[in-house]
Amino acid sequence: MSFFKRFRKKSPWILHYNAGSCNGCDIEILATLAPKYDLERFGVINTGNPKQSDIFLVTGPVTYRSRERLVKLYTQMPEPKVVIAVGSCTTTGGVFRGMYNVEDGIDQYIPVDVYVPGCASSPQLIIDGVVKALEILENKNQEIEKPFKLFGGIRQVGTKTSRRDMAKKVEPNRSDDDQS
Amino acid sequence: MPIRKVEIRLEDMLDELTTFYDAKVWHFLTVNGIDLGDGKIELQWIFSKYGVKDETVLFSAVTAYETKVPSVVSLIPSATLSEREIVDMFGVEIEGAAKGLYLDEDSLTMPLRCSL
Amino acid sequence: MKKVVNIPLGSQHISLLEPIRFQFTTENEKIIEVGADVGFVHRGIEKACSETFEWKKVGYVVARVCGLCAITHSLSYTLAVERLLGYEANERIKYLRMLMVELDRIHSHMLCLAHVSENAGFEAMFMQIMADRELVMDIQEAISGNRVQFDYIAIGGVNRDVTPELVNMIHKNLDELRPKIDDLMERFSNNWSLSLKYKGVGVLTLDEAYIYNALGPLARASGLKTDVRAESSDFPYEDVGYEMIFESSGDIYARNMVRLREIINSITMCENIIDNLPTGEIIEKVKGKPEGEVVVRVEAPRGELFYLVKGSRKNFLDRVRIKTPTFSAIPAMMEVFKGSEYADAPAILASFDPCMSCTAK
Repeated sequence: MSFFKRFRKKSPWILHYNAGSCNGCDIEILATLAPKYDLERFGVINTGNPKQSDIFLVTGPVTYRSRERLVKLYTQMPEPKVVIAVGSCTTTGGVFRGMYNVEDGIDQYIPVDVYVPGCASSPQLIIDGVVKALEILENKNQEIEKPFKLFGGIRQVGTKTSRRDMAKKVEPNRSDDDQS
Repeated sequence: MPIRKVEIRLEDMLDELTTFYDAKVWHFLTVNGIDLGDGKIELQWIFSKYGVKDETVLFSAVTAYETKVPSVVSLIPSATLSEREIVDMFGVEIEGAAKGLYLDEDSLTMPLRCSL
Repeated sequence: MKKVVNIPLGSQHISLLEPIRFQFTTENEKIIEVGADVGFVHRGIEKACSETFEWKKVGYVVARVCGLCAITHSLSYTLAVERLLGYEANERIKYLRMLMVELDRIHSHMLCLAHVSENAGFEAMFMQIMADRELVMDIQEAISGNRVQFDYIAIGGVNRDVTPELVNMIHKNLDELRPKIDDLMERFSNNWSLSLKYKGVGVLTLDEAYIYNALGPLARASGLKTDVRAESSDFPYEDVGYEMIFESSGDIYARNMVRLREIINSITMCENIIDNLPTGEIIEKVKGKPEGEVVVRVEAPRGELFYLVKGSRKNFLDRVRIKTPTFSAIPAMMEVFKGSEYADAPAILASFDPCMSCTAK
């Protein structure tokens, strides 16, 4: 496992989806990947396949027709994954807030880890956001790979034995009495 | 840009445009709609001339919400999208133009009508 | 044996920057029928312009229709409102507005060329063009304070002035850019994967261009001589060295060439503009409320942008109709797809330089 972990830390792949933005943030993401700002020095590469990506870059306030695709793409990405909302309209709806075909920001639909403000977000901010996301990705990674054991929570409720908490993750260093 | 506005009746629209439109002289811009309130919509067909400065012609016809509007696609093939947009936005009926370019096919909203 | 296959492309795909879904019906490898779903980016800006925002703010809202040609959107709206208010900008304002529009055209065309080379499998070229493009982005940032979405144009003028230091900087960057574009022109005409491979692919003939009302670089590559810069008298384009650029073959190669030569022409125009900036105020007070109906056409990087604004002396406008270049180009686009190989579809699509957020508003 640590073998894969090392590579994942050094080469997180990006999936980019435009959920109705004005293109401003999208061209800034492209510019960020290009030589002057060179996001690729962090090992980041832009891929079109959700099943191989770790970081989900979303731009745009979610429009009515693109919301299904957004959730579908998110669910297709393997764990651990990080979502970055790029741009003001992605975080809150921005100037489009309240328009009839707009759903006011992606956090109405999927959990967001990093918010990058700005209309349009500058490449420097996007780099900051991705670097922050790498940190979060690493934390999530550790969280997932923490060893745990099942069969922890057998309790006596009255006269009966309750196995309700059996499938809970139990951290090994804590004694069985502490949890429940 | 000075604009030449020609007011026509909806029934004469196709005949007028057939005599007027020549693909090599006129560039078709768009179909536009303006809600005038009281159940009336002004539909506009806008053209500009190739190679001449500032020449725009606007044909305008007033119609009601329920009237079925003839399509100009047989004359101007590139009008399909504009007509579908008008159908979506105003909920008027244009021959051969299906709803569902921007909104859902069964959507009941008509965003650009004043009353709604 | 013929076999009919349906192939969807989109709405999320590596070669697409924006969500659009195509439904190709192919017979063996040939495309025989195309359907497109363009509504993924529809937000409802036209309604918001007449109901949520007051007329003074609308200029900044319509800029958010499209990030690439934001300046032309706010410019067309501003021109429309200024005409309704009976105000005409002075020469300096006109020149500064023209400067930003031409800079925008340079960087937009370069982005399109980068995409074309990426879709040809030429990743290194993509990186190189994107790196060169930063020269223009730097100028835009220095003039307006932001790289894209710079809200430079206000009703009655522009928001920032060009100082002598900026003039030097613009000269320096444009001088650096010109030989690079010349180099690119050579690459695009001599490199096998960018020129020979693209000759005769995705052809739009002159007759089709007339029938389907093609516009912008797409029409000019087919030999249809239309350009709003020559067809409107809003800006003194003839004074700054504008010339119409057209090719005749109408294929991907011709479209690339039109874009490259337009970049060269735009660089010349920018240099002429900053060398001959007239003196005057950069922003003037405009009084009154818009009344009447007016149409404005402006040449955006992708073709003609059309605005119809109707007001009746209220804080909110009656109607703002936006017709964007890609919206009109889609029928012609569909026609070009028919009869070409499916493997060419991403390259043809990139050569049109479609802008979906413009299309759906």
